[in-house]
Parts: sequence; structure tokens; C-alpha cells
Amino acid sequence: MTVRPAPACVVAAVARRDFIRLAGATAAGFFALGATPDRMRIVASITVLPLDDELTKRNMSESSTSRLGALIAGLRQRGWVEGVNYRFEVRSSFGGPDKMRTAVQELVDLKPDVILTGSTVETAAVMAATTTIPIVFATSNDPVGNGFVQSLAHPGGNVTGFTSGAPEMGGKWLQLIKEAVPDIQRIGVLFNPASTPRAGRYYLDSLEQEAATSDVKVDLAPIGTAAEIDGAIARFAEPPKAAMISLVDSFLVVNRQAIVATTAKYRVPMIYPFHYFMDAGGLMSYGPTLEVRSADYVDLILRGTKAGDLPVQSPRKYELLINRTVASALGLKIPYTLLARADEIRE
Amino acid sequence: MNEQVDQGQLRTPPGRLFRKYLYSIVALAFAALAINTGFDVWFSYREQKLLLAATQREQAASAAIQIGQFIGQIENQIRWLARLPPELSTNEDERLNAIRLLRLSPAIAELTELDAQGREQVHVSRRVADRVGSKIDRSSLAAFRGANESRAYYGPVYFFADTEPFMTIALRGTGREPNVVIAEVNLRFIWDLVAGIRVGNTGKAYVVDRLGVLIAHPDLWPALRRSDLSGQPDVRAALDGVGPPSGGLIKEDLSGQRVLSTYATVPSLGWLVFVELPLSEAYAPIYASIGRSTFLLIVLLAVAALVSLWLSRRMTVPIQMLTQGARRIGSGDLEQRLAIKTGDELEALGDQFNRMAAHLRESYATLERKVIERTSELEKARDHALAEHDAAERARSVAVAANETKSRFLAVVSHELRTPLNGVMGVLQLLDDGRLSEVQRRHLATAAASGETLIALVDAILEYARLEASAETLETRDFRLDQLIETAADLMRPQAFGKGLSFDLSCDPSVSTSVHGDPVRLNRILLNLIGNAIKFTPSGGISMRATIERRDDQALLRAVVRDTGIGIAPDMHERIFEDFVQADDSIARRFGGTGLGLAIARRLTRLMRGDLTVESMPGNGSVFTLVVPLGAAGSSIVQGALPPPSRPLRVLLVDDDPVNCEVGEAILIRLGHRAAIARNGAAAVALAGSQPFDVVLMDLHMPDMDGVEAATRIRQLPLRPMPRIIVVTADASPSTRERLASADITKVVSKPILINALREAIEDEPEHGATDAPLVSGALIDRHFLDDQKELLGTSQITKLHHLLRETSEKLIADIKAAAAAADPRQLARSAHQLGSAASALGLVSLFERCREIEEAAPSMSAPDCQSAARELAALREVSMCALDNMLAPAEQRSASRNS
Repeated sequence: MTVRPAPACVVAAVARRDFIRLAGATAAGFFALGATPDRMRIVASITVLPLDDELTKRNMSESSTSRLGALIAGLRQRGWVEGVNYRFEVRSSFGGPDKMRTAVQELVDLKPDVILTGSTVETAAVMAATTTIPIVFATSNDPVGNGFVQSLAHPGGNVTGFTSGAPEMGGKWLQLIKEAVPDIQRIGVLFNPASTPRAGRYYLDSLEQEAATSDVKVDLAPIGTAAEIDGAIARFAEPPKAAMISLVDSFLVVNRQAIVATTAKYRVPMIYPFHYFMDAGGLMSYGPTLEVRSADYVDLILRGTKAGDLPVQSPRKYELLINRTVASALGLKIPYTLLARADEIRE
Repeated sequence: MNEQVDQGQLRTPPGRLFRKYLYSIVALAFAALAINTGFDVWFSYREQKLLLAATQREQAASAAIQIGQFIGQIENQIRWLARLPPELSTNEDERLNAIRLLRLSPAIAELTELDAQGREQVHVSRRVADRVGSKIDRSSLAAFRGANESRAYYGPVYFFADTEPFMTIALRGTGREPNVVIAEVNLRFIWDLVAGIRVGNTGKAYVVDRLGVLIAHPDLWPALRRSDLSGQPDVRAALDGVGPPSGGLIKEDLSGQRVLSTYATVPSLGWLVFVELPLSEAYAPIYASIGRSTFLLIVLLAVAALVSLWLSRRMTVPIQMLTQGARRIGSGDLEQRLAIKTGDELEALGDQFNRMAAHLRESYATLERKVIERTSELEKARDHALAEHDAAERARSVAVAANETKSRFLAVVSHELRTPLNGVMGVLQLLDDGRLSEVQRRHLATAAASGETLIALVDAILEYARLEASAETLETRDFRLDQLIETAADLMRPQAFGKGLSFDLSCDPSVSTSVHGDPVRLNRILLNLIGNAIKFTPSGGISMRATIERRDDQALLRAVVRDTGIGIAPDMHERIFEDFVQADDSIARRFGGTGLGLAIARRLTRLMRGDLTVESMPGNGSVFTLVVPLGAAGSSIVQGALPPPSRPLRVLLVDDDPVNCEVGEAILIRLGHRAAIARNGAAAVALAGSQPFDVVLMDLHMPDMDGVEAATRIRQLPLRPMPRIIVVTADASPSTRERLASADITKVVSKPILINALREAIEDEPEHGATDAPLVSGALIDRHFLDDQKELLGTSQITKLHHLLRETSEKLIADIKAAAAAADPRQLARSAHQLGSAASALGLVSLFERCREIEEAAPSMSAPDCQSAARELAALREVSMCALDNMLAPAEQRSASRNS
């Protein structure tokens, strides 16, 4: 039998080419299935907190209490490793409007794949700067009212995110603080109209309705700067007996240490919307549990989902935290109803 | 070349059978394996699919149960609250209980407790401020009515704040006035459950409500979008109560991925739990199985190919061996044996091939044997044919011999007929002694001519025989043509006149000449033609014209014989010249004759290089034209008196017949010679030895000793001069001529003896015997030399030499004899040389020649040879000296007388 080497070589060559093609396709498949895009992605974040704030510190990244840390941990679970397939860029808007504009512009100039915003103010600023880069806001009390999204279920545009509370929460806060301090006659509401949804009105309706029901006078204490904190709180140290409510306000979060310290200084009971204040030594807080799902949305957006197709998520859980030590210091006795309700009682 | 081409065309390309087998077996194995694998994979695929679907249904059912349990747990908790005895708690306690319940069950967002009339007693919420004892009438709520109507109320799924799926669950307590507890349940907590349902690695489960709206999905956001899936065919079908397909459903999920889908219904809620597994994962085991099967198939194929290779080679090699064997057998190599040891039919076939080759070998051997046998048979047949041929040849020889015998018979007969005729002819010739009157002479000539004609007629039969044997030769001589023609005419004229016919002879003057030819044959032709004309002419006349045309040195005789006879039909013109043929049988009866005449005439004419033709028409007579070339005559022949001979010769006539002897003697005397008679051979030899003769006329046929032998004996005599021997015979056969030639006899005269023929033969001798002498074999003395010596030296000197030679030779012979006796070859040679030298001085050539031969041969001679040589030389010397004595005797006598 005659051996014909030429066709054999051809077959081998074809087989070799086929193998290479197959291997290439397989590799491409691996890259496509895995979250390993060919270019380095950029995830940008702008925060109202100064970069040296505990909440922005990277060493807390593993802690679920840190929004940023939860994000990075969540992205890692989904195959995004910082420095490997994405770069994380954080800018702080702390320090005034100019500072914020600069930070926003810097981020937009990076042409990131997604921009995370912390609060309503920054969201508005970033939305003003770009209409194409996807924006995921971490907290926004009233995105529809703010004009960020068309509806919660179908936001449209390039923005989506998470709400941090319903307007009924105003009444809830009043009821809870009144249970802790039953003999109050007035209630002070601390907020910065510039950074509070609808300048505070978002919560005030329910609050005022509850105040009327429980015969408590609502005394607004709007502040514009940190310097006004002392004065605003000091007012409620004097009789008639008063307690205070801190609205959802990034300004207040930024200045939480000062606020908590001032309340302690003037022995004014105050209820806060976030547990951050508890970490700073606050009396009690009630608000939505920050089940940070932004990693989910960032992942989807990095994989090509339009931000406008992702519904705005509302909080699912609410948690009540009470610091019994602070309460004792204020001479308060926490009733059973509160204790039964409290998700965490700090000593 | 053609064979090569044929072989080239017939030769199977090597390996074709092998490839055929290989491909067939590989194809068979491939087909079997492929079909097997295909069925295996197909059934495995179906089974796995069913199994997969069943597993998935199990998972769906399990998920449905879990969801049912989740709701059931909430329901139990609410029931616990609803069934708290009213006495146990004030409103505040009820609130506390509700708060406790909220704390216990995170999914419950709000709790409302209504009394039996539907008035709100406690409202506890996670979101809004609690209300206690508001008494708001909630009896119109569907939940309240539903709880009162049935044991438990499950409200429809609704979306709070646009995105949050909620459901109302209401339960009624126990007792006479049972409270109704209404709970708003946040279904997002099912998400944890649904997300926790593991469907394979990448599969998922999701839940839709009774309307097809997505409630829970592992990816939270599709649920938050209030996705209505009722438009999807499978969801639609499930909502319509169609059971899931047993093998599962393959469809595209929300992300466009192809999935295997099935579902289960959550009991009591009517929700549907869909479980989807991507096909890539679902069928991965199937694909793996197919891959394994394919790998196995390839491995088996490779093995099959190897086995096929082995099998094909195993099958092909014996066949190739068979092919080569067949080719070798075809090319004639029958000694080759095929060694195929496969233990099957191929080996049997190989054995058959071997047997066939063996049979062929035997057949070839048989064939060769048969060829040899057949060849020998053919050789025998050939030998037989040759023998037959020899026999035929012998028969022919016998026939020829018989013919010769016939010829001899005819010759003898003619001889016996002619003998008396010779007598008549001889007497007639003797009558003309020159003194006869003209009339007498003419009569005499007529008688002679008639006699000669009679001889010629007798000769016709003999001649015919000779002609037939092609043995006839012309005997030419000079003769007078006019005389011949006139003689023939004279001979036939009386016959013509006898029949009352005119005979007109007209000879051209040119005919009056002597020519050289065969007058006897010419005469015979003319006589035949004239005789025929007379014979076949009843009336009228005959004319004959003769003319001569001169051509160079030849004369062309044209003789035309014309008659007014019966004529000859044209178709017989040639046949009449054939043997024994006449124009008509009736003619033969009327006219008689042998029918040989014209045949002989034409043959003789042809022999003379002439031609004989006829022109004739029946009834108009015939014209025979003879044209014969004749040579010019040497000398004119004088008619009448014979010329005297040049010199009278001594002639010895030898014949056993007295008449012939007498006639011969008379003719010889008439010719002027002296004749002596011998009546037999012995007497002739004795007479020839006793006295000298110039000529011997020897009859060939004699009783005691025939002419040839007698002539030979005479030749052996030491005669000087040796007579010329002329044979007289009527036998002119070739055998006789050969005998004569072998006896060196060249001169022959035919019987009967014609005087002119005899005269020419006798006188036709060499100019002088002396010139011929040295040429005669066995001559003792060179006479010419001797004459020259005589003239040169003179007679007296020759005489002196003669005496001297006698004495010297006598002495030398004595020496030779002594040398021979002493067996001394050298002395013998020397003496022989001296004798030869002496003999040569006087022309004793014979003695000289012999001496020289003995001198040369002496050294090698034995003693007896020497003595015989000596004796021979002595005898030869004696004879030679006698001859010399005879030659010189007259001269010596004269010189002696002169001297005396």
C-alpha cells in the first residue's frame, strides 16, 4: 500500500488549525462567561464624607456596616477584583459646592463605567454632569420626587439606586422617641434643608400628623452649618420637656459626631435614622437596614445592563437600636414595647 | 509486445484488493459502531432528559413545598396571635404581642387586629406609627371578609411603593367573637428562600403568582419590576392548569439563555414555582456521555482499523500469492509451488493451484512424449515416402533400362536388316566403274538411291526411337544439294507417275551447290514429304520447289512440296506432326503407313534447327514448307571418279562377316589403299603386332572379342607407328559412344559403309604421324627430337651415339641391378640418373621419364621395390633400344652402304 504523506500533512495541518481555533473559541468563551473583560473597568464613587471618615476607610471593607466595604466584598463575590479587572476611584465632595463640582468633574473625566453616589445632592450633581454614564445612588429618599427616575419600577435614563425610607417614617420616629421619653411636650426636628429631601417636608407631614395625635408640639431646628448644631440642640435642653429627631440628611451624617456629642452635652434625647449615629454614641436609631445591594447593580451594569432597566429598590427591613447606657445617662427607662421591638440593645 | 501489453492490461494493480478489503471492513466496523453508539447515545439522551426533567420536577415540587411552608409558618404565627384569648390582653398587650410577632417574623410588615365587627383594635407597623384602639371600621376589607368566610385568607399579590411585592394574609381567631388578624407580608423575604434553592450549579427557581406576575426571582430586580410573565407560553399554560411536560420544556429565559424548564404549584396559594436549568448544564452529562461514547467510538474505530489492516493483509497476501503463482504458471513456470498456510479455503485453493500445475506439468510431459512419438511416426512416413520414391526411381531406371533395351533391340534389328542391304548397296556401288553409259549410270543411281531409301525406311523406326530418346545426333558432311534433291525426286517420280500424277520439280539455280549438313536426314525428310504428297493425292499433281537463301556463311534451304490432295483440316495441322497421328482414321485405312513419317520429319527438322510447317484446307490440297539452315561446304565434291588418296595406306580391316570384309576390301582397294583382313579380334591383334598398319578398321560387334577390347590390346602393343583405329558400327547409341570415348577411339564410321564416308574417315589423319608422336602416351622415343638431332649432328654422329648408348646403358642396367640386389638406393638413384641422362640424348623419353621417377623415389624404396624397378628399367631399355634400332636402321644401312 502506498503511503501518501502529503494528504496526511494536510489533515494534520487542518487538525492543528481546528485545534487552535477551538482553543481560541474556548478561551473566548471562558473570558465571556467569566467576569474578566479585556479592559480594566472603572467603578467611580463620590461621597459626601471626607475621605478620612471611618465610613470611607478601606480597611473596613469587609464590614457589612460600611457601604463601601460591602460593595467591594459584593463585587468580589461576583468576580470583580479590584486592581485586576476594575479600578475603584473614590472622590469626596466634602468641603463645599466648589469641592463637589471639582470631584464630580474629575470622576466624569475618568469616563468610568458606573458612578456610585452617596446622597441626593451628589446624585443631582453627577446627573447634571453626565447623562450617559450609569449612576447608582446609595440612598435617595424620594428619587421620583427629585426627578432622578420616572418611576421606581422602571427608572429609565441612566440612573437607578436605593431609597432609604418612606415619608411615614417621620411619625414612626416621633412615636418611638415618645415611648422612650413619654413626657415630652415638644419635639425638635434637626435637619439641613439643603440636604434633606424636599427640605424636610418629606417626613414632616407624617411627623406633624403623629405629633397632633399624641399632643406634641413640633419644633423645627433647621441648620445650615456645623456651627449651628450646638445652638439648635441647646434649645431643646430647656423646658418644656423635649426630644429631638434627626432626619435623613447627609449633612447630619457627616456631622454625626458633633451632633451626638452635643446631645450628650445638653442631655437632649434624640432619635436618629441610621445606625452610624449609634456608633457615635447616639441614644437610639430606627431606620432601614442597609442591605447594600449596590454590588448587584454595579455588576449588572458592568455586564451591560442599562441602569434605567433596573428598578429602584426600597428598604426591606427596619431596625431599632437602643443604647441603654445612653438612656440611663439621660435618666430614661426603656419600656417593654421598645425593648420588645429593639433589634439591638447596646449597653 | 502484444503479450506484454496484454499482461500489462491484465495485471491487477497491487493493493487494490487489499484496499477494498480494508475499506469494506473499516466501513462495516464503522457502521456497526456508529449505529451502536448512535442508538446508545440517543436512548441515553432520552433517558437522561427524562431523568433530568423528573429531577427538576422534584426540585420544583420541593421549592413549592418550601414556599408553602414559608407562608404556612407565617400563617401559623398569625393564627397564634389571632387565637390569643381576649381576656389575656389589653389593647396594649395586644400591641406588644403584635410587636413580638413582628420581631419573630421579619416578612410581616404590618399587623392589624380587628374585632369581630371589623373595627381596628391594634395596628402595628414597621413603617408607620402604631395605632391602638382606633376603632376604625375595616369590615369592608376583603381580607376581613375573606378571613370570616374561610379559615384563612390569602390576598392577591400587590406591589407596595411600586416595587415591593406584598400579600395580605388574614385569619380569624376562635371563640364567640373572634378577632381577625390581618398581616401584610413582604414577599421580598421569599427571595432569600428562592435564592437559596439550588438548581444545579447555574439553574434557578422563580415564583409567579396566580396572575402570572413574578413574585420572587434569585435576581431580585426582575421581581421588583413587577414583571408580568403571563404572556409567556409556558407560564400561560401553567396558569391554565396544563401540567408540565414530562420531559421538561426547553425555552429561552429572561436573559435569552436556553434552559430546560419545569414548574410546580404551591399548594393553597396557587403560585407557580418554575425551575429552570440552562441546557448547557442540563445536558452537560449527556454531552459528556456523548463525548465518552465518541471517544470510545474513535478508539474502537482505531482498533477496528488496525484489525481490518491485519485481516485485510491476512486475506490479501494469500490471494496475491495465488495471483503471482497463477502468473508464473501462465508464464510456463510449472515447478513453483504455492506455500499458503492459512488453514482455510485459500489454502485449499492454493493446493488446487499446485495440483493444477502438477497436472499441467504431467500434461506437458505427455504432450512432449506424444510430439516425440508423432515426430518418429512422421519420420517413418517420410522414410517410407523416400523408400517409395527410391522404388519409383528404381522403377523409372528399370523403365529407362527397358527403353534402352528396346533401343538396343531396334539397333540390333536394324543391324541385322542392314547387313544384307549392305551387300546390295556395296554391289551397286561397285557397278559404277566410270565406264557405264549415262543411262546405265542413271539406272544404277536409281537402284542405289532405292537401296539407300530402303535403308532409310528401315532406319525410320530406329530413328524414331533415337529421337524419342533424344539420342539422335546429326552426322554432317559436305554434299551436293541439287543432287540430293534430284535423287529424291527421281526416287519418288516413278511412284507419282504410277498413280497418274504429274511431278513437277523446279530447283532454283542457287540450289546447285555443295553444302555442309546431314544429307541422310535431309533426304529422309524430303522423301517423307514427297511420299506423303503422292500418297494423299488421288489425282492432279505434285510440285516441289527448292530455293537457297544465302545468309552470311549459312545457306537457308526452302523446300516447298505442294499437292492437289485431300487436304488437312485446320485443327489437324499441328496434330499430324505428332507421333502415330494421321489426319483421319479412315485415311489410315485408305492410305496405310505408320503415322511416324511427319513426326520424324519434324523432329529431324528441329534437330537441324529448321522448321516444317503446313498450309492446307480439306479438298484443296496441302503445302508443306521445309526451311533448314545448312552450312557452307568445305570443298566441292567431284562427282563420278573418286579422287586418288593423298598416299596409299596400309589398312587392317577387322570384321567377322565375310561379305562385309569383301566389300570393305573392295572399297579400300578402290580408294587406292592396301588392305589386310582379320576375321576376329585376336587375329587382328596378332596381325597388328606382326606388321605395321596405318589404319585399323574395326568392327565393333564381334563374337570372340569386341572391337573396343581389340583396339585396346593393339594400343598396348609397342607399335611404331601406332595405327589409327576407326570403328565401324551401326550402333550409334550414347553408351557405345561413351565406351569408345573411354577407349580413346574418336573416329566412327557407320554401317553400311559408304565409300565417301570411309574415304573421309581414313584420310582425315594428322598432317604427319611424326608431329603427333611425342603426344602419344607411352611413346618410347621423341621422334621429332631425334630428327632434329639427326639434322644437327649428322647421321654418322648419331650412329656413333647409338652404339655408345647401347654399351653405356647395358653397363648402367648392370649397375642398377647390382644396386638393387645390394639394396643400395643411393647407388640405384645415381645409376638411374646416369641412364636417364644418356637416354635423353637420343630422345628415349619413356626411359628418361622412368629413370627420373625411380631416381626420385629410390630413397624410400624397399629392397623388393628396388629389384622390381631394376627389372622394369631393364625391360624398358630393351624395348626402347629396339625402337631406336628400327628408326635408325635404314639410315645406318644407307650410311653403311654409302660408306661401303
